[in-house]
Parts: sequence; C-alpha cells; structure tokens
Amino acid sequence: MADFMMPLRNVFQWVSEFPTSIAIRESLFFSPYLTVAHVISMCLFAGLIVMMDLRLLGIGNMSTPFSELQKRLFPWQMLGMALSSVTGLTLAYSDPMRFYVNIFFWTKMLVMVLAGINAVAFHFITYNSVMTWDSRATTPFGAKLSGALGMVLWAIVIVSGRLIPYNWFQN
Amino acid sequence: MLLPFFDWMNALPVSQAIGASIWIYPLVQAIHLVFLALFAGGIIIVDLRLLGFGLRSKSVAEVARDARPWMVTGFLGLVATGLPQLMQNASREYYSEFFWYKMYLIAFGLILMVTVRRKMTQGTESTPASKVVGLVSMAIWTGVTINARLIGLFT
Repeated sequence: MADFMMPLRNVFQWVSEFPTSIAIRESLFFSPYLTVAHVISMCLFAGLIVMMDLRLLGIGNMSTPFSELQKRLFPWQMLGMALSSVTGLTLAYSDPMRFYVNIFFWTKMLVMVLAGINAVAFHFITYNSVMTWDSRATTPFGAKLSGALGMVLWAIVIVSGRLIPYNWFQN
Repeated sequence: MLLPFFDWMNALPVSQAIGASIWIYPLVQAIHLVFLALFAGGIIIVDLRLLGFGLRSKSVAEVARDARPWMVTGFLGLVATGLPQLMQNASREYYSEFFWYKMYLIAFGLILMVTVRRKMTQGTESTPASKVVGLVSMAIWTGVTINARLIGLFT
C-alpha cells in the first residue's frame, strides 16, 4: 500500500487489537448474524431509495407527488441507513485488517461517498424547483440524472459489498 | 425424494461451468442482492401503507398498483439469479435446512401475496386486518432473507 495510507493503516491496526474487536472476531455467531442484520437493513434502505429513484426517473410510483414520497419515506430510509451503518461499522470494527486490504471494501466506501454527494446535490439544486414538477407525468433532467446516478451508485455499493469475501486482488 | 433431481441439476454442464469459473458465481450472488433491493422496495412500500405508514395520502390500491411491476421485476430477477446459485451447489444445498426454510417461506409469501394480501391491496384505507397482513408479509420476507443469508454462511 502507498505511504499516504500508513496513518490509516495504523488506525485499522490499532482498532483490530481492541479486546471487543477481538471478541467479536473470534465469536462463532456474532459476525454471521451481523451480516444477516446488515442485509435486512439494506433492504429497508436501498429498497426505499430505489422506489424514490424510480419516481425521479419518471417511471415508477407516479401516482404520488415526489415531495410526498420524499417526506413519507425519508424516516424509513434513515432508519434503514442507521441500522445498516451500525451493523456495517460493527463488522468493520470486528476485523479491520481484513477490510483494509480489500479492494471491494474501499470501492464500496468511495462509491457510498459519491452516492451521498449525489443525494445532497439533488437536495440543494433540483429539489428547490420541486413544486414545478411535483405531480407532473414527466420529471426534469436534473431529477432523472439524480435518479439514474442514485440507482447505479447504490447498485455498485451493493455489488462491491457482496464481493468483499472474495478479494481476488489481494496483494 | 428430490435428491436425484438436485444431483441431476448439480451435474448439468452449465452448473459445472458456473462452479468452475471463479467470478460467475460471486457476480451472480451480487446481482441477486441488487434485485433483492428492488423486490424489497416494492414489498416494503406497500406493506408500510397496509400498516398505516408511508404514502398515506394515496389509497392502498394506488400504492400497490404503482409498486407491482417493480416488485414482479425484482422477483423475476431474484429467480433468474437464484437458480444458477442453486444449480451449481444443488447436491449440498439439498442438505441445508436453511435452504428448505427459505423455500417454504417463499411459498407462504407467494400464497399470501396472491390471496389475502391481494384482497387487502385493493382497499383504500389501512384497517386492522390490513395491518395484520402487512406485518405478516414483512415478517415472511424478512424470514426468507435471513435464511437465504444463512445458506451462504453455513452450507
């Protein structure tokens, strides 16, 4: 790994020696059940994000005004995000060095940041004009772009997350 | 009883080819999860409405009608990416209790979907009965997902 990664590597190494990190790592059932909980919370989060992105693309959930969808689904999406973050962070905490050397882990982290930027950009740019297209049969270009980017980026997050155990490119 | 069928699936050239490639199986698993998100979204948005949450300004029937094509697409995608996974590992998965729990729960989920839940999703408002159906539906599909993940971990 490159030199600039060294401080990060040291943090991961340091965490991996915490007694609780070791305890989860060495427990037979804790990690499997964490991954189960991670997948369930992913369903809540990604499932409702997809429903919103389909609406942004103008191809799904068109009976509902976008602002309504946004307002009513947001708390559930946040619940899904909170649960998947807690379970995901605990998994990373339990075996930091396994993830540190994993290309799919870092791909997932990077693409999650991009997906977050997409969501924030949508909120501060396209969402400002929501009243002009809220109930229309078509959505503006900005909404379609955010919807398409959201779907593609979250799909990459899911795929790279699932590929973490394979780690074909280690060393 | 079904073991010969599972052995036959496992021995098919296409199953062997999937097993022999290092990347086909992982990629199929990953795409399975993407379809899971689509399917789960189409289920959850309707079950939340049945429970009296989510898109409350629209009728249950409208929410369900909008969600249906995506739920169906998600399900077909799950089957299309689930079958190859089963085929290349069929002789072992036959002995996995989690695989069979998953299959039974999928059967329950589908039966519920085309009977009671279908009736409930033609309604307007969330009722005590629709709340029960929404809760049972969510519980069944959650059970499917839990057992699915456990197949991979303990088979």
